[in-house]
Amino acid sequence: MMADAVPVEQGPRMARPRMSFLAASRRVFDLSLGEMLWSRRTIFMALVVGGPVLLALIVKGVEMFGMSALRVNGQRVGGFGIFGMIIWWLFLRFIVPVLGVFYGTALMADEVEDKTLTYLFTRPIQRGAVLIGKYLAYLACTILVVLPAVMVVYFLLVPLSELPTTFGKLVLDLAILGLGLAVYGGVFAFVGAFFKRPLVIGLVFAFGWEQVTLALPGYLKQFTVAYYLQALVPHAMPSDGVTSVLQGMFRDVPPTPVALAWLFIYLGGFLWLATRIVERKEYVLEQ
Amino acid sequence: MSNKKTRYFVAISGTILAIGLGTGLLASYMGLPVSVFSSAAGPDELQYVPADAAVVAYANVRDVMNSEFRQRFKNLEPTQENKNQFEEKTGLNFEQDIDSVVAVALTKDGMANNPAGAFLILAKGRYEASRLESLALEHGAQVSDYQGKRLITHQEMQAGTDPNHDDMAFGFLDADLVAFGSLNTVKAAIDARASNRNIVSNNDMMKLVNEIDNSNAWAVGRFDAIASKAGLPAEIQSQMPAITWFSAAGHINGGLSGTFKAQTKDEATAKNLRDMMQGFLAMAKMQSANKPAFQQLADSLQLSGDGNNVALSFSIPTELLDVLEAMAKGRHLQPQQQH
Repeated sequence: MMADAVPVEQGPRMARPRMSFLAASRRVFDLSLGEMLWSRRTIFMALVVGGPVLLALIVKGVEMFGMSALRVNGQRVGGFGIFGMIIWWLFLRFIVPVLGVFYGTALMADEVEDKTLTYLFTRPIQRGAVLIGKYLAYLACTILVVLPAVMVVYFLLVPLSELPTTFGKLVLDLAILGLGLAVYGGVFAFVGAFFKRPLVIGLVFAFGWEQVTLALPGYLKQFTVAYYLQALVPHAMPSDGVTSVLQGMFRDVPPTPVALAWLFIYLGGFLWLATRIVERKEYVLEQ
Repeated sequence: MSNKKTRYFVAISGTILAIGLGTGLLASYMGLPVSVFSSAAGPDELQYVPADAAVVAYANVRDVMNSEFRQRFKNLEPTQENKNQFEEKTGLNFEQDIDSVVAVALTKDGMANNPAGAFLILAKGRYEASRLESLALEHGAQVSDYQGKRLITHQEMQAGTDPNHDDMAFGFLDADLVAFGSLNTVKAAIDARASNRNIVSNNDMMKLVNEIDNSNAWAVGRFDAIASKAGLPAEIQSQMPAITWFSAAGHINGGLSGTFKAQTKDEATAKNLRDMMQGFLAMAKMQSANKPAFQQLADSLQLSGDGNNVALSFSIPTELLDVLEAMAKGRHLQPQQQH
C-alpha cells in the first residue's frame, strides 16, 4: 500500500539523518490521508454515515407534508428530539465504534496483510511515527466525513427558529463525536498492533463487551469507552427498548471531569501502548 | 496533502463545517428570524399579528365545520332564523364563507380596563366588501384609509370622556382577509405587516407554533404576561402556578384529540405541576371506573414532560361522543316536551 508513496533511494548509499518523530508522523499522515480517503473502506464509511443523512431527509420529507415523523405517547417529537436520538442511537452507539474498529484495527494490520510494512520500517524514521501518522490520518479522515454529516443532519431536522437554543448542544455533540473517534481509534490501534485477528476482537469489544457490561450492575462498565462517552452527551437517553431500559436501570453517570479524564487516559494510554508495541514487535510477514 | 482530490475533499468538508458553525454562531449571538431561509410555520395571517402579542389562537373553521364532530351536533344548534337575518344583511354565511380565524391578545397596560382594545381578530374567507361597507355606513360608521387599507370605524358618542376608550374598527387587509378589533389594534396589524416586525420574527412564539402538528385549532402564548396584565386579584395571581409559556392544540374530526403543554419558570414548579396533575388524573380514573365511555377518556389522558415542561394529551373517543350526544339530545327535547 505505502510502497508506491515512499521514495526509493537511488545511487550510492548515503547516511541519511533520521527525521524527528513529529516530522516523520506528519510525513506518514500526508501519505496516508489520501490513501485512506480513496480506499474501498471509504465506501463503507460513506454508506454508514449516509444512513442518518438519508433518515433525516425522509423525516424532513414527511414533515413537509404536515405529518409528524415520530410520536411518543401521542406527543410529537420535535426536530431536535429526533436529532438527539440519531446522535445517541446511530452515531454514538454504532457509527463511532464501527469506524473506530474498521479503521483503527487496520492501521498496522493492513500493512502486514499487504506485506508493505517492510517498506515503511526500512525508512529512516521511528517505527512509532508510522503508527501515529496513520492514526492522525484516520482521525482526520473520519472527522472530515462524520462531522459534516452530523451538521447536515442537524440543519435538515432542526428548524431554524430553534437554532439559537440548540446550537450549543450541537457543538457539544460534535466535540463528543470527535473525542469518541479519537478514543476508539486509539483503543483499536492498540488492538490492531497487538493481536493477530484484530477485527474480530475489535467487533467483540465494541458490540459485545461494551453493550453487555453497560447493561450489568457493578464496576465492569468502567472498562468501556461508551460508559464515559455517553456521560458527556447532552441528550437524555431514550428509554425505549429492553437494552436501554436495562442500561437505564443500572446507569450511574460519572461526573463530566471524571469521564473526560478517563477518556483522555484511555486515548493517551492505548496510543502509547500501541506505539511501544509497534516499536518492539517483530512482525513476521506470511509468504 | 498528497493530491488534488484529497485537497478538494478536505476543502468541501471544512466548508460544510464552517458554514454550519458560522450560521449557528450568528443565530446564537445575533438571533435569526424564522423567515430568513424557510417559510414560517403557521398560517400566513400571522404576518399581521404584532410582534408583542401575548396569545395567538388559530382555528381552521372550514375543517371544523366539515368535521364529523360538528355534523354530529349540528341538529342541536339554535334555529336558522337569526343566522338567515345576518346573512341577508351582510351576505356572509359563517359556515361557507369563513375559512380560518386568528385571534390575538395583546398585553397592553390597559388590558384590564379596556379589554376590547387588547384583542384582534383576523378572519380569512370570502367577503362582499362593498356590501359590508355600505351596511356599516348606514349604521353611522366612518370609512377611512390607513396605509392603503380600507378601515371602517364605529365611534361611540358616549365614550368621549373615557380615556381608555378605543373605537372599534373593521379593516380589509387583503381581498380575503379582514381584521376586527379596536382601531389601534387594527392599525397595529397593518403596521406589523408593513414593517415586517410581526409575530413571525418572535422566535420564542414561533418555536411553539412550529411544534404544533396536524391540529385544526390551537393557541400559544405567554401565560405570565396575561396573568400580570389581566388585572387579576393578587390572591388569585399568587395561587397560579408559575407558568411562562403555554400551548394548546386540538384536532377536531370524527373525535376530538389535543395536547396542552406548559413551560414553567423552574424545574421544581414543573415537577409540582406534574405531581398535582397526576393526582387529578388518578382521581379521574377512579371516578370513571364504572363508566366505560368516560374510562376511555380518562385512559387517553397522558401526562408527560421533563425539565421545565409539562404536557397533557387527551383523546375523546367516539363512544364518549355518543354518550354526550345522547345527553345533549335529551336536554334538547325536554324543553320542547314541556311546551
